[in-house]
Amino acid sequence: MFRLALASLRARRLPVGLVTIALAAAMVLLLSIERVQNATQDGFNQTLSGVDLIIGPRSGSIELVLYTTFHLGRPTNNITTETINDIANRPEIEWLVPIALGDNHRGFRVVATTPQYFEHIKYAGNRVLKFQSGQPFAAIDGVVIGSAVAQELGYTVGSKLFITHGASATMAQVHDDFAFTVAGILEPTGTPNDRAVFVDLKGYELIHLGWQSGTQAFRLSGIDLDSIPEDKLVPKTITAAYVGLKSKLGLFQFMRDVQAYPEEPISAIVPGLALAELWSIVGMVDKVFQFLSWMIIAISLIAMVTMTITSLDSRTREMTILRATGASPWHLSALVMMESFLIGMGSIVISIGLVTLSTWLASDYLATSLGITPTISWLSLNELMILTLILLSGLASSLVPAMMVFRRSLQQGLLQ
Amino acid sequence: MILTTQALHFKYPQGESFRFPDLAIAAGEKILIMGPSGCGKSTLLSLISGALPLQSGDITLTGTTYRMLRGTALDRMRADHLGVIFQTLNLIPYLTGYQNAALGLQFSAIRRRRVLKPSDEIHRLARALGLSQQHLDSQARALSIGQQQRIAVIRALLGRPELILADEPTSALDPESTERFIQELLGSFDPSTQGMILVSHNPALQPFFDRVIKLKGPQDV
Repeated sequence: MFRLALASLRARRLPVGLVTIALAAAMVLLLSIERVQNATQDGFNQTLSGVDLIIGPRSGSIELVLYTTFHLGRPTNNITTETINDIANRPEIEWLVPIALGDNHRGFRVVATTPQYFEHIKYAGNRVLKFQSGQPFAAIDGVVIGSAVAQELGYTVGSKLFITHGASATMAQVHDDFAFTVAGILEPTGTPNDRAVFVDLKGYELIHLGWQSGTQAFRLSGIDLDSIPEDKLVPKTITAAYVGLKSKLGLFQFMRDVQAYPEEPISAIVPGLALAELWSIVGMVDKVFQFLSWMIIAISLIAMVTMTITSLDSRTREMTILRATGASPWHLSALVMMESFLIGMGSIVISIGLVTLSTWLASDYLATSLGITPTISWLSLNELMILTLILLSGLASSLVPAMMVFRRSLQQGLLQ
Repeated sequence: MILTTQALHFKYPQGESFRFPDLAIAAGEKILIMGPSGCGKSTLLSLISGALPLQSGDITLTGTTYRMLRGTALDRMRADHLGVIFQTLNLIPYLTGYQNAALGLQFSAIRRRRVLKPSDEIHRLARALGLSQQHLDSQARALSIGQQQRIAVIRALLGRPELILADEPTSALDPESTERFIQELLGSFDPSTQGMILVSHNPALQPFFDRVIKLKGPQDV
């Protein structure tokens, strides 16, 4: 019966092929949405770990986590160094890593921070940032670059680079009076760290000396850098700070204390909670796309049933021959359902191949645009359940033509 | 007896009514049923094949009466004990000659048990009917009418069903091909276990058969 069904489908390869492609396309859409969303969510969730709180200027929590951790968007305000030092001296704090954002190097975000960044900031659970070459910056002109920066721009330890003022690569205000030297290159992490350029906060402050309102008042190249007082290199403001607490039990109380800080408006967010809030918003959009995908699948199944019913008339003689050779109505119904099953299986095989390809392509885009490298698995349990449900739906819908075949008598066929 | 029919009477909804003579066919017997168009030849074959339901009378095939059979039991009877050859369009066009021939065994375990090696049997019958490997490998739609009819004969004979029914199998053939076909058909038929009923309006076939039954038409007595 299997070979008969296969031969029957081959004989009608054009309509069968079109229905199979339509069904496969709908499955690809559904699975791709599922996969990319899960992969992106996993990628985002794995980007930062080991950080209890992010402290920044008072703003939305999603906004804060996006521009500090994922380098998406721009910071709206800064925090004074006095405030951060005040926070850092609190007894609950185990460690605090400040960061300053705002500049870029050829499109890659510059993160000004301290060498402790590479000690405390982890990713993917508990992985530490490791160096494929070099080490954390020690000198004021030292810079650490992510693996993607090194690969795309061809940098090695010792390479010189200039920072550009502002977040956009197209802005022409380059800090070309002070060159940074690559001190270390990070191993690939699959996080936005791969696409970041890390400089010391003092170096960052140095290149901004003499800059007022976005324009340069004097150049550093004509100045003896050793003569610059140490306190001039202490940043006056920073963008945000990553914080590790001694005990998580006091986390929410600490957050409330930061919210109530009297000297300036600041807030503390839990990165995981902020991301959960982000996914709840994104999740609503995903649900709309999933609904549309299921609608397309339903339409494709209707097309498959319509094709089968339409073909029954042209297959009357074929059915009559089978009945005359001893096939029962059950055999013919089973034949029709077997054909639907084969179309469903063919669509599934095609869709698995295409969805793997599409998510591989999407992962490339995600790595380039968001700096995250999501893990693409072969076929998850959830996807298997979705595909099984579609296959069973196809079989159920083929009951209609199967019943029609069942009811046709042998004599009806002989008379036609 | 392979087949007996008693007091068969069939009336179509449109009003045509046929009464058929009682038949008794033993192994080795070849019966030719003749008559003009509309005399009920195909109706009789349809009753014997189970395509038409019995309205009155009875049919007994290999000891089983049709009145005792319901639903799929009749289909099994047809699969196990009948080989059917139609007038035209005998084959499923997208299957090869071999695949069409093998359909004879598809739905009958009894017929499958009678054939040790289906492939060998199909090839033997093909040779006996003048068909080559190329004919078996070709799709049915690529074969001539005569070649298709021969494939249909293989399908009907495969697994040695007790009764062969042929409904005007030579109507689309020329006289020379007709004679050759009938000779090949009867040559492949096993007289020790099989009987045959062939329906035709061609009087030239009479010499090939043991008995000729002539139907006169509706309400035939």
